[in-house]
Amino acid sequence: MRAIEKGYATCHTCHQLVKMPKDMKHGVALCPRCGEEVHQRIPDSTQFTWALVIASIIFYIPANLYPMMHVHTFAGTQSDTILSGVLYFLETGSYLIAAVIFIASIIVPITKLLILIYLLISVRHNKPVGQKRRQKLYALTEIIGKWSMVDVYVVAIMISLVHFGGLSQIEAGEGANYFLLVVIVTMVAAMQFDARLIWDTNTEKEKDARDA
Amino acid sequence: MSEHIVCCHECDELVRISNPHREGRFKCPNCGHLLFRHKKGMVEKMFAYALAALILFIVTNYFPFLSFHVAGNTSHANFFTSIVYLFEEQEWILGVAIMMTILVVPFIRIILYLGLFGPLHFGYLPPYATFVLKVLSHSLPWGMLDVFLVAVLVSMVKLVKMGTIIPGESLWAFLALVFIIAKMQVVYNPHAVWELIDQKRKEKASV
Repeated sequence: MRAIEKGYATCHTCHQLVKMPKDMKHGVALCPRCGEEVHQRIPDSTQFTWALVIASIIFYIPANLYPMMHVHTFAGTQSDTILSGVLYFLETGSYLIAAVIFIASIIVPITKLLILIYLLISVRHNKPVGQKRRQKLYALTEIIGKWSMVDVYVVAIMISLVHFGGLSQIEAGEGANYFLLVVIVTMVAAMQFDARLIWDTNTEKEKDARDA
Repeated sequence: MSEHIVCCHECDELVRISNPHREGRFKCPNCGHLLFRHKKGMVEKMFAYALAALILFIVTNYFPFLSFHVAGNTSHANFFTSIVYLFEEQEWILGVAIMMTILVVPFIRIILYLGLFGPLHFGYLPPYATFVLKVLSHSLPWGMLDVFLVAVLVSMVKLVKMGTIIPGESLWAFLALVFIIAKMQVVYNPHAVWELIDQKRKEKASV
């Protein structure tokens, strides 16, 4: 039995089961225990998630085109984007570092965005197939999300360690800011997506419950 | 309370939990999502972990986690100076984001754990408990010390080619801190604290 059919909802903050009042406006009630807003479904969840997904795709382009950091040494200046950094480490034989950066900065954000787009499309005409699998994919986006921050932190640590004026100096590139935005916006996008939508198949009974 | 009903946050299934005080994990029978985890002595463990985390946090912040040595110049980085450098370089967005995720959020979370489980350990439910639980619930995804630890290791390897890299005194405290924070997230069971709050309110209402 699902909560929405019974007219209940769970409080996101304290997980209290809340009986939704019949005459509520915009599907919002206040949790009697913690006082936070309770919704049966996050309002306009798919619209907000779509908007954030599109925003992070847009940010991801300059994040890859602009350099993450500039390394100034007496021999000259070297600027590295995410991809050229990975290639540099591959060429110099630091396979482990190349793998960590490749996974954190390229695989994780792209996988996350693809999963979110897939989930957004799949809940549109929701069929009761593969729900458990889709649920797992959603859980994955939540777990891996913050790990893309690795590259941003690495830039910050290098800036704070290497500042010897003309001898050697590291500066953050424009790409670092955009990449940071990608990480934050995709994390918010994953939070805005309401996983319960995966399980909302469009049966008449549930439609009635939602309209009521 | 011997039996209660919870609703799975991921799939909206209503789940009857017959024995919520049994030790172990409670999973949603429909989708397999972990509803909550109950461990005996949660309050005592959380108090101990939070205390240890506070000490480790102070040590981690006081000493440098990495030092870098090149051609007679040495520089040290600890959490605080790294962030100050970003601000000096006018990297405002980076600076604020990093300050929040490795300094502000983890520190606030440790203080709140301590402020909640300290009094609970001595049998007193603080009046601000609901506030603490709310902040802890909302700030969970934004503490990123574990990611920062990986970044420190990556930077060490990256910098090896440019000069001499010396692991700082605080690196060990930092490692332990990340471990303890992970441990806290496993032991922490807000359900049990909410139940205490419910009980107290009922007692008040009946008086």
